[in-house]
Order: sequence, then structure tokens, then C-alpha cells
Amino acid sequence: MIGEKGFWNRLRVRLLFTGPTLFAFLTVMIIPFIYGIYLTFTSWDGISVAHPLVGFKNYGSVFADSEFWSSFGLTLKYVLFTVVLTNVLAFLLAYALTKSVKGQNVFRAGFFMPNLVGGIVLGFIWQFIFNNVLVYLGQKASIGIFSASWLADPDKAFWTLVIVTIWQYAGYMMVIYVAGLTGVPADIQEAASIDGANSWQKLIRMTIPMMVPSFIVCLFLSLQRGFMVYDLNLTLTKGGPFGSTQLVSMHVYQKAFLSRDYGVGQAEAFVLFLLVAVITLLQVYFSKKMEVEA
Amino acid sequence: MNGFKKISLTALTLILSASLSACGNSNSNSQATTSSDKSGTDKSVKITLLNSKGEIQTQLEDAAKSFHEAYPDITLEIQQVPSGTSPFERASTLYASGNQPTMIMLDTGDVAKFKDHILELGDEKWNGDAIDSALDLTTIDGKNYAFPLAVEGYGLIYNKQVLDKAVGGNFDPASINTTSALEELFKKIEASGKKALTISPMDWSLGAHYLPLAYGGQSKDSTEVSGFIDSLKAGTADLSSNKVFNGLMDTFDVMMKYNMDQASPLSPTYEKGPELLGKGEVGIWFMGNWAWPQISGFDTADKQYGFLPVPISNNPDDYGNAQISAAVSKRIVVDKEKTTPEQQAAAKKFFDWIVYDQAGQEFLVNKANIVPAFKNITMETPDPLGKSIQAYLAAGNVEPSLSDLPADHWTKVGASMQKYLSKAGDRATLAKEIGDYWKKVK
Repeated sequence: MIGEKGFWNRLRVRLLFTGPTLFAFLTVMIIPFIYGIYLTFTSWDGISVAHPLVGFKNYGSVFADSEFWSSFGLTLKYVLFTVVLTNVLAFLLAYALTKSVKGQNVFRAGFFMPNLVGGIVLGFIWQFIFNNVLVYLGQKASIGIFSASWLADPDKAFWTLVIVTIWQYAGYMMVIYVAGLTGVPADIQEAASIDGANSWQKLIRMTIPMMVPSFIVCLFLSLQRGFMVYDLNLTLTKGGPFGSTQLVSMHVYQKAFLSRDYGVGQAEAFVLFLLVAVITLLQVYFSKKMEVEA
Repeated sequence: MNGFKKISLTALTLILSASLSACGNSNSNSQATTSSDKSGTDKSVKITLLNSKGEIQTQLEDAAKSFHEAYPDITLEIQQVPSGTSPFERASTLYASGNQPTMIMLDTGDVAKFKDHILELGDEKWNGDAIDSALDLTTIDGKNYAFPLAVEGYGLIYNKQVLDKAVGGNFDPASINTTSALEELFKKIEASGKKALTISPMDWSLGAHYLPLAYGGQSKDSTEVSGFIDSLKAGTADLSSNKVFNGLMDTFDVMMKYNMDQASPLSPTYEKGPELLGKGEVGIWFMGNWAWPQISGFDTADKQYGFLPVPISNNPDDYGNAQISAAVSKRIVVDKEKTTPEQQAAAKKFFDWIVYDQAGQEFLVNKANIVPAFKNITMETPDPLGKSIQAYLAAGNVEPSLSDLPADHWTKVGASMQKYLSKAGDRATLAKEIGDYWKKVK
């Protein structure tokens, strides 16, 4: 059918198959995105009828908004810890659960489970745990570190975010790593054993290089989720105490809808989009170079 | 092949036109067409109200039912703003998606922002029956745009049973009119074996309620108060040397000293407050009358609660020492972009029903425990905190709440107050952060 003669015939056939999807993609992704960029040049407040054009003034405000950059810095710190720790833990879990552990399917399901809980619900559950359960236990058993709510202390509140994120995503990444591990051909492993390689050497020299595609996917997913996190931030700490755990998505949202500076908020969202796009593309580009063939 | 081409062409046209028409409908006039279809057949009108006062959701749903009984051709549906979301956020996203409800319950300061989208209500009868100055803040260019739903007030809520025991007799709220009298009372409560007070550390409570007492307490004259706000914006007011601000923070220092959660002052959640106060474990809680439904769930003091003013000095005659803060806090506006004339008329009928119909007043005062903003409603609210506000109103001891502060005031300044409360910053830092916030306000 793709061999239809004539430009119009071919276009018609293509539209038949890709048209509906293309239409949906245009209306819900591309057009809002372009409209959003247009709004960054206005001083719209989010509700009024007028959209006064202000040129590049909003982008100037983005660079002058110290809170945006400090929340971006905090987000970088958050991304660094969650990406590293999530992936290390996920890989260890996957490695352990592909060796012959008893009941490994139960463990796999169990570690994956937190992913099925939505971020909002999860945040509220953990808020309850950190605010009430741990404090209660800490006071009863006089464990100093739990005697006051972690969410009331700026540093500990940050770590609650990291801990809950790892708990939520490690299981998901583990599934991808399990798939990668089982994809490593058994014959080369066996050949290595015959050549006298111990299991540590096999892991470092063979398994990990063979699993680069899994690492690319997992790093990309955890990077992107880390930068865009909002639900957990909102329900677990609400950016508090005193604004110390406000990650960048939350700052952008508050700028647009709470401070009613829609234009600046949208400009910040666009700047954030560019930054995250550059970081994730660089990650994929450089890690692609590390791929090897068996 | 020719036949297949025809079929594929027809299918393509069908798919495209179906998706196009669906889109066109939802974007522009689905609401209008459906409602006019309905009114063409059985003349029934469906209207919606976005409720931003979560604690009266069920009461409003019941009210919608009894309103439907009174006007069988009008169906009222109540939608809800999710908790933790501001009414402005929710309303503006609904507008952006073209799904705006017929009526929206907004905070006072938000009404002016929606001016272009909402109906003027200045000619409605209830305008004449509203209490003094209830409509000032929603009147733009001489026209009122909003229906005042509720008067809300806040201050130090006390549990009379605990305080009676502490003072050894009948506690008189009028006796607390200076900071030192308040401290004396805290000491007595602690001596009686109870905790003196709990401070709920939410940013909205500290930022939108406690601190604004420093602005509103500047003067009885509202023009002087707005002049003070202007000088804050201009950066000419020096908070660190301001008498009212320092007096208010001195009281806060005393409150912090007797706060039962001193060890970790940012830990308590809102839900803890009503429980502690209702069970009589603490004597005092800084909050407003909206907390009554939650307090009543734990009530052990036979409904004997009331408000104390937050004192700002040791001179009993100073303005603010005998006043509690109260104002019309929730307003209902009517959308004019998507609503049909029938829906607008139905919405206006709903307002009249609340103000003039026996069942409507019953809903407002007895069911929803709201202090009404209308002079003609003489029913006394059954809730003790509402009663306390009505008493302060009657005595003229009310300081207008600053309900039109900038929208992000409570998060930004509330964070600074939390810092002060947890001793992560001193008073100089607080004054500086508040000053810096105001200089950025446009």
C-alpha cells in the first residue's frame, strides 16, 4: 500500500494510519507547548482576559529569581542522590534476585509494589509514618534520632524525600535490570569460567558492560523523574519546613499559580525544560558510546 | 483497489471529522448546547458551584437538595476544591480548560482578578441587607461582583472548662487584655496540670492569620492600614522598630515559651489542634471559627469555647488588645462567559434562597455553622465560636482581617514565621524577610 502511486494517494494512505495519532499529538502536545512559549512573552496573571506582551522581560526575571536557582540547585542535589542510590540499590536487588534465591518471584513482586502506589497517596502515607509512627516509636523506645519529626527539620526533610523516592523507584528499575541480567548470554559466562574468571571479574568485565542498554534506560528514567518530581514533594513535605525542601517543579508551579506570575512561571518552566533536555540528551549520548556487542 | 480507496477515504474523513467536532464542542459551547437542549424540552437548568470551604461540603450538598425541592426545575451540583489547593488555583485551571462552573466560591482577595469573567451582582436585593463594609472589597468601579457567604474570625480559642479550673472560678475573657495578663493565664493553666497552649505551625495560620495582626493593628482607620501596607511595598516602613509588630512578636515569644511542642515546634499537624483543645489537654489554640466542626468532634467542655484577642502590648487601652480579627472571607461569584441567562437567573435565585428563604437561612446558620454577612438573618448560630464572633461584632470589638493580601503572602511570609518559631531565625531576620517580601510585591 505504501507503494501507492502519486503524492496525494500516498499522503492519503499515510493520513489514514497516522492521522488520528498525529492529530492527538498536535493538539495535546505541540500546540500547548507553542502556546506556552508564546505566554512566556506576556505578563499574563493566569486569569485576566488581556495578555500584555512584555518581550524578553520574563526571561530576565528568571535569571534574577534567586529562589528558582536555589530550588534548582536543591533539585540537582536531590537528583544526584536519588539517581545514584536508586540505581545502585536496584542493581543489587536485581543481581541478588537473579541468583537462585528462594522465593525470588515473591521478592521481585514485593520490591516492585511501591510503584503501583500513586505518588500522592504514597506521600501521605510516608508523611504519617515520619510524623507519627516513627516519632511515637522514637519517644517510647527513646531512640534520639526519631524522637522529633524528620519533616520538621530542613536537612532530615530532604533525606525523607530521597529515602521515599528510592523506596518507590528502586523496584521499577530492578525489573529493568533483571531483564538485562537474564539477557546476558550464558555461553560467554561459561567460557569465562573455564578461563578461570571468578564471579567478581565476570560481573565487572562481562555482565556490567553487556548491560549498558539497561543502564541507559534506568538512568534516563530516574534522571527525568528526579527533575520533574512534584507529587511526592507536595504531599510529603509541602516544600517545608519554611520552604527548605521546595524542588524546582514546585517553585515553578507556585510562581505561576500562587504568586500569579504566569508569564514568569511559564518562562521558568521553559528554561527548566531546556536544562533537563540538555542533561538527559547528554547522558544518553555519552552512555550510548559505551555500548558493546557480545 | 478502487473500492478500497473509496472506503479508506470515507473512513479517514469520518475519523477526522469526528475528532474535530468533538474538539470543537468541548472548546466552545458544549455546556451551552446541552443546557439549551434541556431547557428546550423540559425547561430544567443545571448549575454548578465550586466549593472551596471543604468543611461544609456535605452541608452544601444537602442544601443543594433542599434548594432543588424549592425550585424543581433547577439542579445544583456541588464541586469541591481539593484540600491544600487554593480556590484561585483551581478556578483558574478550570477557566483555562474551559470547564468553569456556574458559581465559584473564592477568597475575598481573588474576586478582583476574575473581574473580566464574572457577572455584576450589584443590583441584587441582598446588597442592601449586607452588613457594613461587607461588600467594599469586592466593589470595583462602583459595582459589586460577589456574594458574601461567610464571616470568619480568628484569635486565641480557649476551652472554658480548662480555664475555669486554672483561674479557680468563672473565667472572664475580658480580663485578658495585655501580654502579661496572657502570660499570667498560661502560668495558671500549667499550674493546674494542663498544657498552656499549642501552636499549629502551618504557613497559612502563621502567615495569613497571625502576622497580619501586625498590619491590621496599626490603626483603627482602614486608610492608615493600607497606607502602612503601601509603605511596606515602598520599603520605607521599618518593621524592626515598629511598635505593633514588636508587641505582637513579644506575645508570640510568650506563646513559644509555653508552647507544648517546644521540642519540635514544626511537628504538629492541623489535626492535632482540635483534638488537644477539645479533649481539654491544652487551654488555648490559635485558630479560627472554621475549626469548630473538628473541635466539636472531641468536645469534652460542653460546648464552652470562645475567642481571646491576641494582645499586642501591656497597655489595656491599645487598639488590638480587646479586638479579634474578623471579616467576610468567602465570596461566591457567577461566571458570565459560558453560563446561559437561565443559569445566571438560577444562580441569583440560589443567593436569594440563602438570604431570604427559611430553609436557606437554616442551612447557612444551623447546618453550616456560618456567621452570616446579612443583617436580616437574626438566627443565632449554634456554634460557640460563631457566637463568640457575633458577640465581638455586636460590641464593636472587631478588627478587620486583611483578606486581600497578595496571594503568595502566606507561603512566603509563613515560611519566615516558621523559621522564627523553630528558632532558625531571630526577630531581626524575620523583620528583614518580611520587608524583603513586600519590596518584591508588584
